[in-house]
Amino acid sequence: MNSLITRERLGDVLFALGSIAVTLLLWEGIVRYFQIPAFLVPPPSDVARALMRNADLYRVHLGYTLLATVIAFFVALVLGIAMGTLTAEVRLVERTFSPILIALQSAPRIALAPMVIVWFGFGITSKVVLGVFTAFFPVFLNVSHGLAAIDREQVRLMQSLGASPLQIFFKIKLPASLPFIFAGANIALIFAMLSVIVAEFVGSNRGMGYLIVNQSNQLDTTGVFASVTVLAGVGLVFHYTLQAVRRRLLFWATDSESLGSGL
Amino acid sequence: MADGDSEAFLSIREVSKTYRTLSKGTTVALTPSSFDIGAHEFVSIVGPSGCGKSTLLNILAGLLAPTTGEVVLESRPITGPDDRVGLVFQRPVLLPWRKVIDNVTLPIEVKKLRPKQAYVDKAYQLLEMVGLKGFENAYPSELSGGMQQRASIARTLVYDSRLLLMDEPFAALDAMTRDEMNVELLRIWRAQKMTIVFVTHNIPEAVMLSTKVIVMSARPGRVREIIPVELGERGLDLTGNPEFGRIVSHIRGLLDQPERGAQP
Repeated sequence: MNSLITRERLGDVLFALGSIAVTLLLWEGIVRYFQIPAFLVPPPSDVARALMRNADLYRVHLGYTLLATVIAFFVALVLGIAMGTLTAEVRLVERTFSPILIALQSAPRIALAPMVIVWFGFGITSKVVLGVFTAFFPVFLNVSHGLAAIDREQVRLMQSLGASPLQIFFKIKLPASLPFIFAGANIALIFAMLSVIVAEFVGSNRGMGYLIVNQSNQLDTTGVFASVTVLAGVGLVFHYTLQAVRRRLLFWATDSESLGSGL
Repeated sequence: MADGDSEAFLSIREVSKTYRTLSKGTTVALTPSSFDIGAHEFVSIVGPSGCGKSTLLNILAGLLAPTTGEVVLESRPITGPDDRVGLVFQRPVLLPWRKVIDNVTLPIEVKKLRPKQAYVDKAYQLLEMVGLKGFENAYPSELSGGMQQRASIARTLVYDSRLLLMDEPFAALDAMTRDEMNVELLRIWRAQKMTIVFVTHNIPEAVMLSTKVIVMSARPGRVREIIPVELGERGLDLTGNPEFGRIVSHIRGLLDQPERGAQP
């Protein structure tokens, strides 16, 4: 059974790589055939060359962006799980914070980027703050949904065994809402990276966002495409890492791939 | 055994339950009811919905406090969830992220029973006893409905409960699996020498399994009649027995004709 799954997964990976390769080939062909100027759309071969030539540059800037993203993601994850649990479990917290959180959630949070820079400066703090601010909500919402969707019978079973509220939380509620936490985490990771990059657009002297702004100011379109390619690669790595962890932890959950809301 | 006559194994004394709701005022779910159940009896409770049988079962399980009266098990009252009582639900309610064996050992963790290893050994023995040997490391989703319910029975037996409460445990199973599980349950009941209180909608099932059938009626919920069943050897072939048929139709009659125009 194990080897079957691996073979299936290998097939998935090969198929994904194949479809990317075909897209790149088409892109290269169209750009060359129609002789589109490189400052509008560069051919992928140019982008690849730029990437190789400036590998160190991308590595350094990506390092900054990744650090801010990962910190923001984990802070958002912890805060989201904590607040989601509190609002689901404690009525007073729910009534106090729900209106505020709903208002914040409907606001375009990324629009606060310039203010966040003013408040927290040019350094990494402002990037992390904006990242946490946007990535918190998908985790928070999914955790509170997950806890609301708990099987009442499982709780009754624990009560009939004389379990304490804490035991019920750790043995039932937390594992049962894990699929929801994962769905939230998936979105949170993307949001965190987006926000960090936007914050770097607005005010920074390092990071991928800073690099992209610089490149486009100099009309270095190939450079911009190279930067975006790097970020796309990182996005893919994030996605597949989370998928792998999910498969490990959530083998028991029936297809909950479609779970979770973005916002 | 000497003072066993005066002290029943399980004694329900003037137990009643009244709910107070904002919309409907007070609702009497169960009028004061009293009866005794002896050790190693198999008692079924049948009745229409709203007769208070679930309320009664929840009170016996210690999940619900009675409005009046008390439940006394082996001379000690039941005041909350109790190690002496096991509850089997209509659905197996196995935790899908735990292996079968880890589901059975869940009560050991929750109740922090010691020595742990002795109880874990017992969990393995119980799984064998309910016919799940070889499935210890399977996940619940890999088991059929009947097998899942067997695992859930093992889970309630693992912590030395003496009173097994079963809330329509086989209602969700198909007819053939249900028959098979009834035979299994009788075997487990004899092997474990325990006392079972079994709630069901199915009258033949109740009569076939039980030493005593408690018939309840609704509006307000109350005990209508307690019928002893003396049929000797139990099993599926009982269905042809004339005495069996007589008891079944008697119960059916009780449930069909309401007394004192209680029905709308």
